[in-house]
Amino acid sequence: MIRLENIEKVYRTDTVETLAINGINLHVQKGEFLSIMGPSGCGKSTLLNIMGLLDEPSRGQIKIDNQDISRYSDKQMANFRNEKLGFIFQSYHLINDLQVLDNVELPLLYRNSSSQSRRALATAALEKVGLSNRTKHFPTQLSGGQRQRVAIARAIVGQPQIILADEPTGNLDSAMGNEIMDILINLNKNEGTTIVMVTHDESMAQKTHRLVRLFDGSQVQ
Amino acid sequence: MFKHLYKLMWNKRKQNFLLLSEILVSFLVIFALFSFLVYYFQNYQKPKGLDYERVWTVSYDNRQVSKQLDSARLFYDDLERSLKAMPQIREVAYTSANFPYSQSVMNTNVSLGDKVINSVNRYVSGIDYHKVLQMNLTEGRWFYPEDAAAAIKPIVINETLKAEAFGKQSAVGRLFDNHDKTSRRRIVGVVQDVKVEGDYLPSGKAMYTPLDTTDIKWNSFILLKVTEAADANFEGKLYKYLGQRFNNERVEITYMKDLRTAKNEVTLIPMIIFMIVAGFLIINVALGLFGVLWYNINRRRSEIGLRRAIGASSTSVSGQLVSESLILATLSIIVGCFFALQFPLLHVFDVAANVYLYAILLTVLFIYLLVIACSVYPGKQAAAIHPATALHEE
Ligand SMILES: Nc1ncnc2c1ncn2[C@@H]1O[C@H](COP(=O)(O)OP(=O)(O)OP(=O)(O)O)[C@@H](O)[C@H]1O
Ligand SMILES: [Mg+2]
Repeated sequence: MIRLENIEKVYRTDTVETLAINGINLHVQKGEFLSIMGPSGCGKSTLLNIMGLLDEPSRGQIKIDNQDISRYSDKQMANFRNEKLGFIFQSYHLINDLQVLDNVELPLLYRNSSSQSRRALATAALEKVGLSNRTKHFPTQLSGGQRQRVAIARAIVGQPQIILADEPTGNLDSAMGNEIMDILINLNKNEGTTIVMVTHDESMAQKTHRLVRLFDGSQVQ
Repeated sequence: MFKHLYKLMWNKRKQNFLLLSEILVSFLVIFALFSFLVYYFQNYQKPKGLDYERVWTVSYDNRQVSKQLDSARLFYDDLERSLKAMPQIREVAYTSANFPYSQSVMNTNVSLGDKVINSVNRYVSGIDYHKVLQMNLTEGRWFYPEDAAAAIKPIVINETLKAEAFGKQSAVGRLFDNHDKTSRRRIVGVVQDVKVEGDYLPSGKAMYTPLDTTDIKWNSFILLKVTEAADANFEGKLYKYLGQRFNNERVEITYMKDLRTAKNEVTLIPMIIFMIVAGFLIINVALGLFGVLWYNINRRRSEIGLRRAIGASSTSVSGQLVSESLILATLSIIVGCFFALQFPLLHVFDVAANVYLYAILLTVLFIYLLVIACSVYPGKQAAAIHPATALHEE
């Protein structure tokens, strides 16, 4: 599903050059639930961003669904992200000026869909994460766990084949974290969604199919 | 997408309140400015209705002229003949003080049955008045000397007065009562409007009455149409000659074209000042708008990063920011139009409704252009935001 070949990422600022990713080869199978672990600053988020086409590697190739992404235009990349990928972030990244339902609908606005079908899909997604009773709330009126569930609903509303989650439980207590984890596991099991998750929590990582450990930009396991 | 952005803007109405009111204020100022400009432009496009070139206005002191009616009449007839005999003078006409581009008006009202028409400027005019000013008759005729004997005194009116009194019907032969219905006047002709207040203001309603017995004793102005041969030398001679005839030195000769220039300046100079002030205001608003949009983009970096992540292309991000500004502008414009439309609806000033409608149209266009100009660059800047970096920051 996702194939990374010899990926390197160098961040250059005026004074320093940081090698964030150093020659990573990784193949994520379709339907796999993969977790990535490693110390802070080892390049986990960078790797996830590269998989999500949010960031370009300095060297190497990414193939998703056997398509070479490097030749894509900005517009094609955007469409690709919209249709195939769903993102979940540690800090939720909800739009505070929009109600929960509107936040969840957001990805559908960037494709052709009627407002009724958007509404229906968003309502269904919120139901899946157990938040159907909070659709008219604003994100600031929700708890951290609820916000993360809204973010998950937003990630799944477009029925993507791949979900990229960067520390989705990092800001939550373990009960909340488990709840989120259950949602992801069910998604993977029932819908066959491929999931790549960055986590700091060993017990969460144990629940996934495969664990990849990074150290200083390289894969160690 | 539009509904989504509208909802977003609506939810943020408190944050955007200042911006909304700024746009509203500039809408109203620009609307006022455009109303003036459209009004002046429409008037400017109408014909002047006269030829002011080589028209001299003479003012004199009539103290030494006999107050005996017959001798006064003899004196003025003779003076007119003598002036006309000069090769440099083509036409001569006596006039009241309110000749075109002068500082005077002589307002009166006339009655047409039960209908009273107010603010009619009455011009007392000699027999050749229309020739001096080369006015254009559109109906009927000017006065004849024989009119003096007529039982009902003749008048000539302008088209504006005709339109108000008779609409599209013919005016010649119709009668006006004067304001207290003590006397009547017969309309013998209609002339094209003369823009007496300068090129940018309307002519107003006008009626021309012949110089009659009561007027003649107090007359103190003459209009002359001179030839090209009338130079400074001739002006000096004329000045001396008139001094002798009136028995005093208080004679003044002015060129009508200078009076016109002065009139136009009185209209234009305040307008230019207004435009400069409005210009500064617009620059201020533009900078404010630009600043707010710029600031918003920096505050919304993570939102922009998120939108990129879930499928917005860089062009759709910049398009979104421009559209948001346009939605804000539209909200202000709707409120602004509500106020602006009161002017034609309530008929606040005596100005045609289409002036306001054009002004509203121009203002709306102007505001949209201003807003687009101010948001295109911030929008581009937002499109350049790198999604990974923007998402990383929070
Ligand atoms: N935009 C950037 N510019 C420069 N250096 C960066 C940038 N983003 C990341 N880095 C560097 O790249 C390295 C990897 O960063 P990354 O965010 O991928 O770490 P991480 O493994 O996700 O850490 P954490 O667990 O704390 O989130 C770090 O050394 C970081 O300083
Ligand atoms: Mg990270």
